[in-house]
Amino acid sequence: MEQPVTVAIIEDHPVVTEGVASWIQSDPAQRVRLVQTARDLTGLRAAPPADVVILDLELSGELVITQIPGLAAAGYRVVAFSGHSDPEIVMETLDNGAYAYVSKEEGRDHLVEAVLAAAADRPYVTRSQARAMLADQRPARPALSEQERQALLLWFQGMSKASVGRRMSISENTVRQYISRARAKYAATGRTAPSKDALLARAIEDGVIRPGDVTPYKSFARAETDHPSLSAPDR
Amino acid sequence: MTAAQPTAAMSGRYQRAYTIAVLFLVAGWHLAGAGGQLLHNRPAYSSFAFQCAMWLVMALAIIAGAVLVLRGEPGWLPAWAVAVTALAASTAAAAASPASQMLAVNWAWGSAGWIGVLVLLRRPFAELACFLAAEALATLGVQVWDGLNRADLAGFLAVLAWSTGAQVAIAMGVRALDIAARQADAAMRSEHAARDRAATAEIIRAARHARWLTLQESAVPLIAELAAGTADPGDAQVRIRCAVQAARLRRLLAEGDEVPGSLVHELHASADVAERRGVAVEIETAGVLPQVPGPARRVITDAAIAILTAARSRTRITLAAVTAGIAVSFVADTGASVGLPAAADGVAIEQQQDGRMLWAEARWNSP
Repeated sequence: MEQPVTVAIIEDHPVVTEGVASWIQSDPAQRVRLVQTARDLTGLRAAPPADVVILDLELSGELVITQIPGLAAAGYRVVAFSGHSDPEIVMETLDNGAYAYVSKEEGRDHLVEAVLAAAADRPYVTRSQARAMLADQRPARPALSEQERQALLLWFQGMSKASVGRRMSISENTVRQYISRARAKYAATGRTAPSKDALLARAIEDGVIRPGDVTPYKSFARAETDHPSLSAPDR
Repeated sequence: MTAAQPTAAMSGRYQRAYTIAVLFLVAGWHLAGAGGQLLHNRPAYSSFAFQCAMWLVMALAIIAGAVLVLRGEPGWLPAWAVAVTALAASTAAAAASPASQMLAVNWAWGSAGWIGVLVLLRRPFAELACFLAAEALATLGVQVWDGLNRADLAGFLAVLAWSTGAQVAIAMGVRALDIAARQADAAMRSEHAARDRAATAEIIRAARHARWLTLQESAVPLIAELAAGTADPGDAQVRIRCAVQAARLRRLLAEGDEVPGSLVHELHASADVAERRGVAVEIETAGVLPQVPGPARRVITDAAIAILTAARSRTRITLAAVTAGIAVSFVADTGASVGLPAAADGVAIEQQQDGRMLWAEARWNSP
């Protein structure tokens, strides 16, 4: 069996930390191991190393979204875990380099899977993330295909991926592809972060997306300057 | 200190007209009354140039006061700055007049009082009273300094009576007109409000009538059957019919509420009965939802009621803005497909059963 993925939790409410720990424990295959808990960002230590950081976005009443780029630059893979589900906050969190956004309602069903996906640099899209992508009206948003939008919509509506596949007359695997591709397109826009590059590179490696699919929105000046070699990340 | 009160357009226009009238009165007095007296008594002054300079200072005070009052209700500091300037100039002019003839050749007292009326007109009346009293005392002080005799005192009282009396009368008159204008304005507004209330009452009455008609064809027959004993409350089908009617009653009540995003509100109301039954209902929205017209909303909420009634333990309702419309979807553990309303009023409905889970979507496209 593979080594379990190591994870640190940064969360100011001990009861939530315990809840997350119990979800990790109840994973039958024990694929994730909790190695650190901290009540704020200063409590995060380099040893023992954590592959993934589960970060509560609101610590002691303050949003810490702007701290995510620092964590990503230090080599942490961040999965945001938050009581907020406001699409703008979701988008800003992803743009800052978080791998996934898991709302507290979705935690039980999605947190462990999101952590595992992040450890492998793979996209994981929760329903709250799908909602934020569907609601996104920013001029810099990536262009999603009709199929990608439809898969995101059905997933947001609450269907299982297998049901989405039956509804769209495609395989469950293709549903995953569409949703992952939509997520990868988002990784290619906005500000740069090592996590976003890694996500994109892995998506290309996995055949989820072709380098040509991620040409960023041209009118978005920052995206252009931030991504000089976007269409061919060499990793 | 009074705060500038927000006055309605009409009373505001009247008050401005009164202000302009007072302004003409003050300027006219200073030019013709005070100016005429100054020129007529020219030889009597020891320094005609000094009197002219004081007259100019007061003219400038009138201009400054005019700017102040035309811009709105002046604050106490600028108003009193102008008033005190006028008071100082008038006292200086009186002091520089020949002692024996001071009252006879005094042109400045009246002007100073009128300037006070101009700038203190819409401030608390006590301020104007204080100013006029200070003005009178200053003039009396000059007379006492010059050596007051009985005839002088009588003259002083006569001038005080007619000059200050006229100033107080004008100030009170404008005050009364201001109040009348405000009352007229309030009356007009209350008439508008009454008309609005009547229109609203008519809309509410029509909505109530429509609701009553709806109940006539759905809830009333069921209640009649229950009362007559032809419907058995022990029968599962009858219980479902009751649950549906209860949800519809809630929705009917919600339809009258003035809440933005009324479709979401009505869905919440429809979900209420299912939640009481122990069904966990989540309602989420994505994007900026368009306004859905009443008949289309009713088709959508009818579908919601049917699904919520059939749901065993949970239902997820989502509303998503889609190209040219809205997609309202339901995922519920109904165990079987559900009889849903037919497509109508621009709403198309689809459903798909997947094991125990039902997915249904009502899509409304704006015409």
